[in-house]
Amino acid sequence: MEFTKKIVETTEELFNTMIFLEVSADPPFAEGKQAIGCHVSAMIGLTGDFSAMLGIHCPETTGLAISGAMLGMEIEAIDADVKDALGEIANMLAGGLKERFAAEGLNLELAIPTAISGKSYTIASSTKNNRVIIPFNIEQGQFFVEMKYNLN
Amino acid sequence: MGKAVLIVDDSNTMRKIVSRSLRQAGIDFDQILEAGDGQEALDVLAANKVDVVLSDINMPNMTGLEFLKAKAEDDAIKDIPVVMISTETGADIIDEAKSYGAKGAIKKPFTPDLINETLGPLL
Repeated sequence: MEFTKKIVETTEELFNTMIFLEVSADPPFAEGKQAIGCHVSAMIGLTGDFSAMLGIHCPETTGLAISGAMLGMEIEAIDADVKDALGEIANMLAGGLKERFAAEGLNLELAIPTAISGKSYTIASSTKNNRVIIPFNIEQGQFFVEMKYNLN
Repeated sequence: MGKAVLIVDDSNTMRKIVSRSLRQAGIDFDQILEAGDGQEALDVLAANKVDVVLSDINMPNMTGLEFLKAKAEDDAIKDIPVVMISTETGADIIDEAKSYGAKGAIKKPFTPDLINETLGPLL
């Protein structure tokens, strides 16, 4: 199902069209590396021919850079605008993935995105789920796009 | 008299992004009005002269499709063109939007060029 390829293509498309930051992907984390530390995240569920959760997780510097670039303004602290921007990014990434899976005959519906922020937290998930975490690089640092999925 | 656009989206951030994209597309509106859902959009249209509406589909209170239906029943505003902007641009939902009078659809993520190509003929 090429989750990694689809996530990378969708993320690059979004950054090229609406965020205007140069982005490059690193190889996905090796299996077993389950925890990542961040300051702002947005997540969205997908249901249908399989069920999944897509998340974007950012340390503070990259969260501010991405949301600032998206809004065309300088943002100095993680606030409602940053969480709203990350929520929109999660929504658009999920929409892009939905379209790519639909081209292969797999239909998905999107839930409503949720964004959270904190001084430092760790994302962890059940090892029973399949999980892909891809680090992406922008000039200001790294962020992560994660997809957990269960094939029905 | 200058032109006015109404941006309808429950996300304040997305309304800002659409505004920025309109500027980047070189479309010069004298007035950019905003609404957070379909009902607010109807209220704005009742109180202002608007040349074109850009509307999300999935919104609380009144969705973009419900907004289109309500607008089509009001003779005073039914002819104002509406373009849908959404991650939901499957053929079924776009056909439904067009059946209620939508003039086009723009898929998120979008470029300023796409905004220009879609809105240009409507202005």
